[in-house]
Amino acid sequence: MQPQASKLSLSSGEFSYYPAGEGRPLVYLHPAGGVRWTKVLDELAKSFRLYAPIAPGFDGTQAHASVKSMKGLAALVGEFIEKVVGGPCDLIGCSFGGYLAAWLAAERPALVDHLVLECPAGFRPKGYAGRPPDPEALKKLLFLHPEKLPPESKTLEVEAANRRMLPHYGYSPDTDEELLARIPSIDKLTLILHGTADRMIPKESVQLLKSRLPHAYLVYIWDAAHAIEVDQPERMLAVLLDFLQRSEGFMVNWGTLAVNPD
Amino acid sequence: MKFSFFHLMPYTHLDLESHDWPFPNRYFDPQKASALYRGYVESMIHAESCGFDWVGCNEHHFSPYGMMANPNLIGGALAYSTQRSKIAITGNLVPLNNPIRIAEEYAMLDCMSGGRLVAGLMRGIPHEYLAYNIPPGESWERQREAVQLILKAWTEPEPFGWEGKHYQYRQVSIWPKPMQKPHPPLVISASNADSARFAAEVRATMGMVLLADLPSGKECIRVYREAAKASGWEPAPENVLVGMHTCIAETDEEARRHLSQGLKYFDQVLMGGLQASQRIVLQKTRYFESEESRDRWKSRLDKRRTLTLDEQIERGTVLCGSPETVVKQIRRIHAELGHGVFNFTVKVGTLPDEVIRRGMELFRDRVLPHVREL
Repeated sequence: MQPQASKLSLSSGEFSYYPAGEGRPLVYLHPAGGVRWTKVLDELAKSFRLYAPIAPGFDGTQAHASVKSMKGLAALVGEFIEKVVGGPCDLIGCSFGGYLAAWLAAERPALVDHLVLECPAGFRPKGYAGRPPDPEALKKLLFLHPEKLPPESKTLEVEAANRRMLPHYGYSPDTDEELLARIPSIDKLTLILHGTADRMIPKESVQLLKSRLPHAYLVYIWDAAHAIEVDQPERMLAVLLDFLQRSEGFMVNWGTLAVNPD
Repeated sequence: MKFSFFHLMPYTHLDLESHDWPFPNRYFDPQKASALYRGYVESMIHAESCGFDWVGCNEHHFSPYGMMANPNLIGGALAYSTQRSKIAITGNLVPLNNPIRIAEEYAMLDCMSGGRLVAGLMRGIPHEYLAYNIPPGESWERQREAVQLILKAWTEPEPFGWEGKHYQYRQVSIWPKPMQKPHPPLVISASNADSARFAAEVRATMGMVLLADLPSGKECIRVYREAAKASGWEPAPENVLVGMHTCIAETDEEARRHLSQGLKYFDQVLMGGLQASQRIVLQKTRYFESEESRDRWKSRLDKRRTLTLDEQIERGTVLCGSPETVVKQIRRIHAELGHGVFNFTVKVGTLPDEVIRRGMELFRDRVLPHVREL
């Protein structure tokens, strides 16, 4: 269930976010279509204090005139974390949000604990087919199982309006070379997720990230397209929760008797 | 045309009677099996010098039909005793096994053989699912997922994890990786439309054995070619493998006599017990996704069972005769199907090894020179 949005004032303007749940802080950065409150977010809110900030200009919020780059947006999210979370937190970014999360981890490492890059944008090979303008074609590209979309999802038109904000942040579909050069400096324990049927972000993008990040795990989610959270929420949660709760130990199959045998 | 020497490795020391599945292994004599294994492997090694391009075997469980619980062990024996021929494991039964183990063992075989592996990724015939306690209704889902996982294990440049429906691995990074790049050529059984489509989607060579008749084989090839086109590629003739029971002797009469004898054991003993278990799996589970595929499978087996050897020869579903006759048969079947790999199943039931060996030499001297250019 999508919570009510909260607002606060940051240095460049008003900033909105969705808070939910209790526990260790976890910040979730949304994709280009805006915040999509999925089963994954609902489940995360059962174990974490979840914050889902809205990039200014998305989902009906006002853009900040002075924030005009992904790096600038990362600085703004950093300011939000300092003010609201008050210290380091786990960070998940989905697609556009993954791109943003990588910038934030590069720029403000002290604010990030575990880093999760869910089919992150920002590292596509040059010339890779772009996003189709037709909403229905885009839907086919995003979802392998559109029937699993939450019923209260925003319309394709609203999502399209959100995507029109991308140029405001100087977003390019191709690889951000400046950020790529910074990737090896990100020493956070990182989980990269990619759908085996993702045609928006090619596997070469996540392979590149995996090869440059010093402490990263790449996990493919079977039978998922770009919108992993919609197509395969259970599979994503199984990996994600293990990773957030057990760090490197997520690689271990704990079985049922490993910790507390009868 | 490329030729493949395929060995079922049957256990041949049984009386002519059938048993229910699983075939009681009190009839299994390890001493006899030891001699059989040795003879079979020697014959496979000899196949290379008789001009065969591929030498191979496959996987079966719990019956004398084939003593190959793990064909990769035979592949290991062939890797250092052959030099040129492809080692065609056709194949491992993917949904029954750990896909990572398959990726690893195949990669080993590819490296050990200097890049000569042909990697069969088979779904397996219905009764095999009883042996390994895998739900037959999951066979397609497992096959599709596992094949993609195996391809990833071979080709990913970095360690990766896999969160699937049937398979979960938090980190995979196999040692060794295959020698052939991006990976060894694949063969996938395609005896019905569903499997032909799947083979085309993953760019595998399609394999068809135990044909009921040539028109049904032709139809599968058409479906395969169409599906390949839809997937953005055009199969070469070598991407179509057709397999048949084969017996070559000095005369037609001699070949028919030997093959008839061998087929009696094949049908009554080796296939006998399997039919009941196959029927149970087919009736009680969703091994086939469509009823059409299930009915086609049943009718294919029924048809084969009721046909005489002469009728099978006439239909072009076995190769049997003198070298000159077999040349004509190969040419006729090739003209119908346009395939590029001909797979000979040479050990049919109790067909004597010395007959097979003589047939291999006849193939080398009097068949191959006339069909190589096809």
